[in-house]
Parts: sequence; C-alpha cells; structure tokens
Amino acid sequence: MIKQKINVKYLISLGVSVLLAFLVGAVILLCTGHSPLEAYGAMFSGAFSASRHIGDVLEYAMVLGICGLACDLGSRVGIFNVGGEGQLLLGAIAAAQVGAALNGVSAWIVIPLAALAAIAAAALFALIPGVLKVKLKVNEVITTIMLNTVAASLCQYLAKGPWKSSNKNLIAATEQLNVRYWFGGLMRGSNLSTAIFAAAIIAFLVWYVMQKTTIGYEMKLTGQNPRFARFSGMRIDRKIIVCMAISGAMCGLVGMFRVYGAEHLYRSSVSNDYYFEGLMVAMIARYQPLATILLSLFFAVLKIGAEGLQQVGVPNQIYLIIQTVIIFFMAAQGGFLEALTQRRDLKQILKAGKGAK
Amino acid sequence: MKQTDAVIRFEHISMQFPGVLANDDVSLEIRRGEVFALIGENGAGKSTLMNILYGIQTPTAGSVYIKGVRVEEYDPKIVIGQGVGMVHQHFMLVPSFTVAQNIVMSREPRKHKIFFDNAAAEASVRALEEEYGLVVPESVPVEDISVGLQQRVEILKALYRGAEILILDEPTAVLTPQETDELFAVIRRIVQEKAMTVIIITHKLDEVMAISDRVGVMRKGKLVGVHETKDVDARKLASMMVGRPVLFDELERTGLVGDPALRVSNLQVCDHRGLPAVRNLSLELRAGEILGIAAIEGNGQSELIEAITGLTPVKSGRVEVLGKDVTGQDPGEIRAAGLAHVPEDRLSTGISAAATVAENLLTGKQREPRFNRFGFHQNRAAVRRYAEEVYERYDIRGAGVDGLAGDMSGGNMQKLVIAREFGFDTPVLIVSQPTRGVDVGAIEFIHSRIMEKRNQGAAILLSSADLDEVFRLSDRIITLYEGEITGSFRAGEISKEEIGLYMTGSKRQGGTAQ
Repeated sequence: MIKQKINVKYLISLGVSVLLAFLVGAVILLCTGHSPLEAYGAMFSGAFSASRHIGDVLEYAMVLGICGLACDLGSRVGIFNVGGEGQLLLGAIAAAQVGAALNGVSAWIVIPLAALAAIAAAALFALIPGVLKVKLKVNEVITTIMLNTVAASLCQYLAKGPWKSSNKNLIAATEQLNVRYWFGGLMRGSNLSTAIFAAAIIAFLVWYVMQKTTIGYEMKLTGQNPRFARFSGMRIDRKIIVCMAISGAMCGLVGMFRVYGAEHLYRSSVSNDYYFEGLMVAMIARYQPLATILLSLFFAVLKIGAEGLQQVGVPNQIYLIIQTVIIFFMAAQGGFLEALTQRRDLKQILKAGKGAK
Repeated sequence: MKQTDAVIRFEHISMQFPGVLANDDVSLEIRRGEVFALIGENGAGKSTLMNILYGIQTPTAGSVYIKGVRVEEYDPKIVIGQGVGMVHQHFMLVPSFTVAQNIVMSREPRKHKIFFDNAAAEASVRALEEEYGLVVPESVPVEDISVGLQQRVEILKALYRGAEILILDEPTAVLTPQETDELFAVIRRIVQEKAMTVIIITHKLDEVMAISDRVGVMRKGKLVGVHETKDVDARKLASMMVGRPVLFDELERTGLVGDPALRVSNLQVCDHRGLPAVRNLSLELRAGEILGIAAIEGNGQSELIEAITGLTPVKSGRVEVLGKDVTGQDPGEIRAAGLAHVPEDRLSTGISAAATVAENLLTGKQREPRFNRFGFHQNRAAVRRYAEEVYERYDIRGAGVDGLAGDMSGGNMQKLVIAREFGFDTPVLIVSQPTRGVDVGAIEFIHSRIMEKRNQGAAILLSSADLDEVFRLSDRIITLYEGEITGSFRAGEISKEEIGLYMTGSKRQGGTAQ
C-alpha cells in the first residue's frame, strides 16, 4: 500500500518534470526562432523514422541501461559509483587489445577472453575506491571521480603508445578487430548488435538479485542503514566491495559491447560520457532497476531523435537541455516533497513529545 | 471566569496536525506560585501544549492568556518577553562558551555598544546566582561541567531573561538521584521565595508526587484530569495516563541461577575519540539472572556493550560468550555464539527506518531455509506470515507489517526491536535502554517480557538510564563510573540514594564485580 503511494508520487513528479522540461525547451526553441512543435515532431519521428534509427535507439538504451543499473547496484549498498566512465573505458581498451593481440584465434576463445579482460580491468579499477571506502573511510565520490581522469589518461596513453593501431590515419586507437570477432549487427546501418541480448540477461539478473533475493534484501538494508546491517550480523564491508566490483564489471562490459558491437576498435569515442548519462537516468529513476531500464529507453529516444533535429536546423544540444532540466525539476521536486515530509516528521516529533529519554 | 491567581490560562486549545489531533479542547489554568506537573504518555499532547505556550506553535483553535493578556501572536520572542522561560530536554547551550557567556547570550552586555563585555557578563551572572541561590562556575566552558550543572545554566539563562514562569521538559531524565534532589530544592526555593511558577513535563510519577502542588494528566490530546497532588497517588495517576488500571506489581522471579554465560575479563575499550572509556573491567553473568548496570550516561556503559557485541573494537581484555572467546569478532559471529542485543539507540542501530516492519522483523533470520527458495530467492509469503505472527504476539501497533518502520511511534519501534531480538532465543541477552521514550503501558509489557526471558534461563545484561528500571528488574547491580566498576550489589542490598554515590564516584567498593 505504502509502496504504491510512493510510486504514484514519483510518477507525478516525473511526469511534471518531463512536461516542464519540454516547456523550457520550447521557450528556448522559440527564442532561437524555431517552431517547438516542428522540432519536437522531428525529434520523435526522427527516432522512429528508419530501422537504423530504431537500432541506434536500442543500442543507446542498452548503454544507458547497463550504466544506470551499475549505478543502481552501488547505490543499493550505499556507495555512489561516479567512476563508471573510467571503468567503461578500461573495459573497452582491455577487450579491444585482447581481440587485437589474439588475432586469428577462434572467436569462441577470443570473445569470452575479451569479456573476462573487460570485467577484470574494470572491476579491479572499481575495487580501488571500494576498498578505500571500506578500509579507510575515504569518500568514494571523490575517488571515483578522480579515477575517471586516471583511466581516461591511461587509455589515451595505451591507444597512442604501446597498443596503437598500425593504421597511420588513426591517431589514438587500437588495432581494428578482425571481422570474425564483430558482434552481429541487428538492424542495417545501426550500431545495434547481438550484445543487446547479453545486456538483457545482465539487466534481468541485476533486477532479479536486487528485487527478489535474500542477498538483495541484505544489500538494501546495508545501503539504508549500514550501522543496523552490521549490528544485525551482516558483512557489510564485503558487500560494499563486491557490489563496487560488479558495478565496475558492468561498466567494463558496456565498454566491450561498444568495441565489439559498434566501434570495432578502441578509441575515445567508445564512450562520450555515456556513463554519466546513465547515472543521470539512474538518478531520475531513483535508483530503481525497472525504472532505470524504462527511462533508458525514453532518453535513448530523445537522444537519437535529437540527432535528427539537425536536419531541420536545430542544434541537437536541445536534448541535453531537456535532460538536465528534467533532472533539475526532479531534484527540485524531490527537495520540495522531502521538505514537506520533513516538516510533517518534525511536527510528529514535536507532537510525539520530548517523552523520549 | 477570570481568576486573579491564574498566571497562565489555556482556553479550549485544539491543535490539529495532519491526521492527528494533538490537543483536543484543552482548558487549563496554572496558578501563580505553584509547581504544576503535566504528565501523559508519549503523544498525549503535553509537549504540544507547552510548545503552544512557549510560542513555537500556533493552535488551530482556542486561546492562551499569559498573566491575563491574550496571546495574539505565537512567537517565542514575545512570549519570553512576557516572562515565560523553557528548559528543553536537550539543552541548548554552546559547549565551547563559558557558563556566563551562555547565560547572557542574546542579551549580552556590551562595551561601546559593539564589544562583548565578559566581565560585566560574569558580574551579572554572579548577581543572579546570589539572588536565586544557584551557584555555577561562571568562567568555565559548558562542555567541562556536569549535566546537572548544565541544567542549572539553562535555568539561569531563563531567569536572566526575566522568566517568572518556568517550563521544564523532562528535567530529571539525565540526572542522578542526588542531582534530582538538588534540582527539586532549587525549584522549591524559587517558587517559595521568588513566587515563581514552575511547570514540569514528566513521566516519572514518584517525582510528580515529590515536587508538584497540582498535577494535570493528558491522554490522547485531552486533558483527562487536574488534581491536587495530595489527593492522588502514583497508581491512580498511572491509570489515568493509560486509561486503564496499570499493575506496578512485583514481577515474579522463578528459576535458578545457572552457569556463567557471559564473561568479560580485564576489558579496555576506547571511545570514538580514542580516549579510554572502559578501564580494566571484569564481570560475569550467569544464566537465569539479570545484571543491571547503573551509571550516568557517558560513563562507559555504551562502550562496554558495544565492545561485548562487536560494534566497537576491544583494546585489550577478553569477552567470552558461553565459554567461547569472541573478543574482537564481528557482530555476526558474536550473535552466532549465542547473543542477541537490544541497542540503546533504536533509530540509528536497531532498525532500518526506510524498510518495512516485516523487513525489520526478518533481519537476522533472513538466511533461514524457511524464508528462502532454492537458497537464494526470498520467500516473501513466508516472511509476511512470520512478520504478521510476531506483530500480533508482541502487540505491535501501527500501519501493519507493510508500513515503514520509521513511521512507527517510539514505543512500537522498541517493541519491534525487542520482538526481533528476543525472537532469536539466545542464551545471552544484552538489553540497553529497553523502555527509553516508551509509554507506561508498553513499559509494563516490555518488563514482563524481560523477566520472562530471565525466568526461562537467559542471562541478561541490562543497562538503563532509568534507575527505577534497573532496581525493578535486576538480580544484581553494578555501578560504573568513568569506565570502572565502583560497586556491585545484590538486589535489595542498597538504596537508590546510596547507589547514586557510587554512580558519581564519590564512593567505591574495593574490588570488582565478582
């Protein structure tokens, strides 16, 4: 009963935020001399106008979804992984290099090894902030953000130096993968590949573990009140570290999917702050896995549709404006709703009296 | 109806909060120069009524008259100007400021209208001390003085602002019996010599009997009775508060004391600042007995319990549960050795406020086969059935097992914690502040549950700030002062007055407890 009430409140606030964001976008469009109706029309029809667009929508939704779920997983045990971008890049380059180094070996061997390499590289990298948080109480937001730069620089170095492609035209990229290793394309002309099936399985598993299992229950309590979880005998340190590693591994796999499914080599365009966009989706979804997946689809439509906007002469940055304004209004409403409930709580506390003690 | 001696008059006060009528048509007169005790269970509306008087809240209906003048605008500043002072349960003092600085705060004497005049501040505090006979160390920082003195500072602060009507919210909750006696002496003096009016909010009935002239009882927002204190007794007041007869009878003790179940030897523990909190402490607890810890807050009892239960690291020494050395193990391992724990702070340690009641009742048992399918899939139906059964058995009241634990009242939250921890059926129980902030009716219930566990052979270590509770339940009592055991007594061997001397370190026995 209570759960439903929260959901209704959430849906209303989401709906209002989206509406307001489109209104703000419309005002900006009007100011810059575009017709909002035309632009929005082009945006939505753009996303569905051709099968390759639909394919791109699904591919982008996959990236957002897995990144968002990685963020959900961390937040469930009370850790905020802001370092997914770096973990993604490391996973991508590790997988790309495995494919390049083992050129000629059977795909049945290369692809699992590449996946393992992506998982290992990203998970190990994610362990650093996890262990620092648990052992030394170092704030993970700071460490993960900083490590993004470390990872990006490291990848850049590897792609320009030791692992550089033999193709002189590519300045910072690894060797292109043998076509035998490419994930099969699903919609002609789009980036969509069979990786989406693997992503669907991962998404289901994450949702299932978080929502339906006993370990998911323990994770939730750990995130809600770590002191209580420890008091009750749960091993919270281990949970935080493991969840951080899995969160990193998921990001690493997204990197691998981008390389084997779309880019076919490592270069910095495997991710264009995709993790941060996924993180924003997770935030809008209040870290709920199902909502994260659904909202990933919605934002993928906006993003890919916005690319079609350029054809009608509207800069596609309008997408970013709309996304950030939604977050802004969600946060503002969240704060507003919280302020209301807090006031209520405060009153209840005053009312319940100083009888305590 | 206007009486000349009514210094405060509430006329038909109602206070509607969303979903709750906190005050329901309360009319009450407080006379000049009396000590008026306002009692009631949690949520009965007594704090709301006082918050209205102090101008913190505006009533939805009715009016308040202070010295015959109707309050038009509810604002503490105005009310303070009319001579009302309030000492909150949680003191509102700046720890690093001196006593004098705290007292004059907001009306500081100034040099050249700009600079704080510390000498003048101390001088005016000294004058105040002399006038009211309340001695405090003016130039010592508040963080360095005892809780009893801090309370005195709060009272002086109100007097400095010209209070004639003093509201004291649960004033004795943090005091030793000696400090309580001193506080009462102060109250009597200011009432008799200075013709002040004192309103005490409390739930300790013997104190009502000891200090008040009249007593008002609130229940569910209504004022259910106002009596001359000499016409009533504690039992009658308790029944009025709860709305049914309350049995304060002796709890039945059966069973025999068995083998040692918990043994602590030469334990040293540091507090969160790294300072020694428990010093070389040893104790032994046997099956079928309750060992009560009597200590003023901050004398190592919290750290002792946290070290035993694994929440805080042990510096040196040894903790054994049923003969098994559990020193330095994590809480899960110590629980597995046969211990359950009702923590002193239920909100931060005892529950997850954001989880449902059912989820909170499950904690600790979640891995049992009956709550799992295939060893990992949570069997929600079984969890629900279990939670509903416990909810019923422990008479928890609230929005049901699907409601959020954080939305429950303090008493029900405590019942939830006790239901869960007692449900482990462990041989050792650590019970800390079992009835803090809990209603009279629930106290009765919780006490009988604790006694039932004892009679069934559990070894219980009880720590409580409520000395009455320690005396009522314990078979043996130890006193702690600055992390050391200063005395060890059998029940009935010592009076509350005398034990206070051990709690403050002014007396101590030679050895340690057993």
